[in-house]
Amino acid sequence: MALKRINKELKDLSQDPPTTCSAGPIGEDLFHWQATIMGPKDSPYNGGVFFLSIHFPTDYPFKPPKITFTTKIYHPNINSNGSICLDILKDQWSPALTISKVLLSICSLLTDPNPDDPLVPEIAHIYKTDRHRYESIAKEWTQKYACK
Amino acid sequence: MSGYNSDGFMDEDYDDDAFEYSEEEEEFGHNAIIGNSAGASQLNNESQTETQPGVSADGPFYENDLLDDTGDFEPVLGSIKKKKAWEVDYMIYDPEELRAKQVNIAARMEPLLGISKEATRLLLRHYFWKEENLIEDYLSDSERTLAKAGLTAYPPPPELKSGDENFSCAICYTDGADESYLALTCGHRFCSDCYRTYVTGKVLEGDSWRIHCPAPKCKVLLGITASRLLLAQDNTVMERYEENLTRSFVNDLDTFAWCPAPNCEYAIECHVPRTAWATTIPVVECKCGNSFCFGCKFDNHLPAPCYMVSRWLQKCKDDSETSNWIKVNTKECVKCKSTIEKNGGCNHMTCRDCHYEFCWICMGPWSEHGQQFYNCNRFNEDSSKEARESISKTRQSLERYIHYFTRYNNHEQSAKLARKLLATTEKNMEQMQRELALSWIEVQFLRDAVDVLSVCRSTLKWTYVLAYYMVADNQKIIFEDNQSDLEMATEQLNGLVEDPIGQDTVDDIKRKIMDKSTYVKTRWETLLRDITTGLQENRWQFETL
Repeated sequence: MALKRINKELKDLSQDPPTTCSAGPIGEDLFHWQATIMGPKDSPYNGGVFFLSIHFPTDYPFKPPKITFTTKIYHPNINSNGSICLDILKDQWSPALTISKVLLSICSLLTDPNPDDPLVPEIAHIYKTDRHRYESIAKEWTQKYACK
Repeated sequence: MSGYNSDGFMDEDYDDDAFEYSEEEEEFGHNAIIGNSAGASQLNNESQTETQPGVSADGPFYENDLLDDTGDFEPVLGSIKKKKAWEVDYMIYDPEELRAKQVNIAARMEPLLGISKEATRLLLRHYFWKEENLIEDYLSDSERTLAKAGLTAYPPPPELKSGDENFSCAICYTDGADESYLALTCGHRFCSDCYRTYVTGKVLEGDSWRIHCPAPKCKVLLGITASRLLLAQDNTVMERYEENLTRSFVNDLDTFAWCPAPNCEYAIECHVPRTAWATTIPVVECKCGNSFCFGCKFDNHLPAPCYMVSRWLQKCKDDSETSNWIKVNTKECVKCKSTIEKNGGCNHMTCRDCHYEFCWICMGPWSEHGQQFYNCNRFNEDSSKEARESISKTRQSLERYIHYFTRYNNHEQSAKLARKLLATTEKNMEQMQRELALSWIEVQFLRDAVDVLSVCRSTLKWTYVLAYYMVADNQKIIFEDNQSDLEMATEQLNGLVEDPIGQDTVDDIKRKIMDKSTYVKTRWETLLRDITTGLQENRWQFETL
């Protein structure tokens, strides 16, 4: 079941690729993918290319995939290990969601952080109190880690 | 369904005031509750109605139990045992009775709301079974109330359909007319296999009625009927689903709790409100024999209230008292920082590690003390005085703690020994039957005595917690007198029970033990009654916790 569904998602991604992100298996193992997200234009991450790693559980899609950033990013909902705090990756997961939809959700999380439910409280605090400082640090990190 | 009393002594009992034997002891069944309330209202009319609004002689939660044998019983008030001052009313339910209880509540609500059975059941659960809140919200805006819960008033009966060529499952992507699928009122369609796997996964995670449509962000509830339809083929998961339903019923209601004993499947209903737990200790005894506090789910901790118990246990667990001891009894070597306990001798200290010589009083180097020998002249300086006072204060509080802890711990250990004693007692009883030619009934006194002992030990243990937090005044002295009376009598009984019994002494010892048991039990009741009323009258002041 899981494999069939992963294959189908892979096929859909290659036939109709989203404009701001891409994803695919790293090697032979179809349960382990790598994805890229382009920093959204209207965000301080603009210009950066962010890499993510995706692990599918064996009972996918009834359990959510494990997605982490492998590129360092300055964001209230993403910590230094690359873990993402996003409801649809936890309790709001639905088996009708796909990797492509999840990646799009992550893109919109980059544009609109959710400082009220932060993974990194310090960044959330700066985001709420000093938006300029947050933007300049996020830009700086994007330059440093996500632009090659 | 049966009503029970929290009663320390199961085998025989004296009436509260008159010490008459009450013979209708064993089986009160359902109706003991009614009797208890009647007795309670005589005993303690005011506080009873104040603290337990949900329970009165004609309490609402009894009249609604339409289940079983209520009809054919005529209570005879004269023969009903009076409730003790410290006892609370409660009911015990087995899983079957719990299921019936849920069905009954739903059946009562259905005509009131005027919606389908399915929607009523789910709406009740959504409102944590708070019927008044539900009715209030529903009457003011029924559409919104239903929508918020993810429901419609008359959902069509769920059925698996097939034969649509355009169908494609958004989970597994299989499509075609052959696939059977299910759709809720939201219209999201998924194939039956995926639905089944989805629901099974949720059920195994502990979910039941909260399972909703698998579509992203869709909050429409799957419902109990549809879940049963999907799980019909798998008995294990189906059983688990029903179990989860009952589990969520007990967990969602403040007035219900599971018995915490391992593998016990009974639940208790008790209506002593949270706000009363500071003065009423809601101790209940499950059918499995486990006696526990309904409030904090800890072992029976009569007569100390829950908040005190949790503070005390935290205090005992914390190493804070150890560090307190270290603070009071040790100092650090000025030079090498080794921790030193001075267990005797003079003030001239020589550190064993670094051989630094210093004065214990002022901590200065001993060399400066010159010829004044063992008398530190800095002792009288103001700063030293202050330091000394602060040390003695800490020491006092530590000694106080240790005083109460030792006694608390002593009773705990003795209670454990009492359990061992029970085993040896059983052997002794057999031996007595053989050697002294006594009948089974004639040796029961020994077992009764040991039962009394262990109940008193437990009570005494917790009175020390109460005493620890109690502010010293005249009332406390009276409390301590009662406590010491019981303690002394308990120790004497313990001594008697452990005495060897021979052919020539048996009658004498038996009489002594029975007399003492009765006396101890009376003291125990007096103490508990006094503490219960005292707590409710705010007779004692407690350290602000």
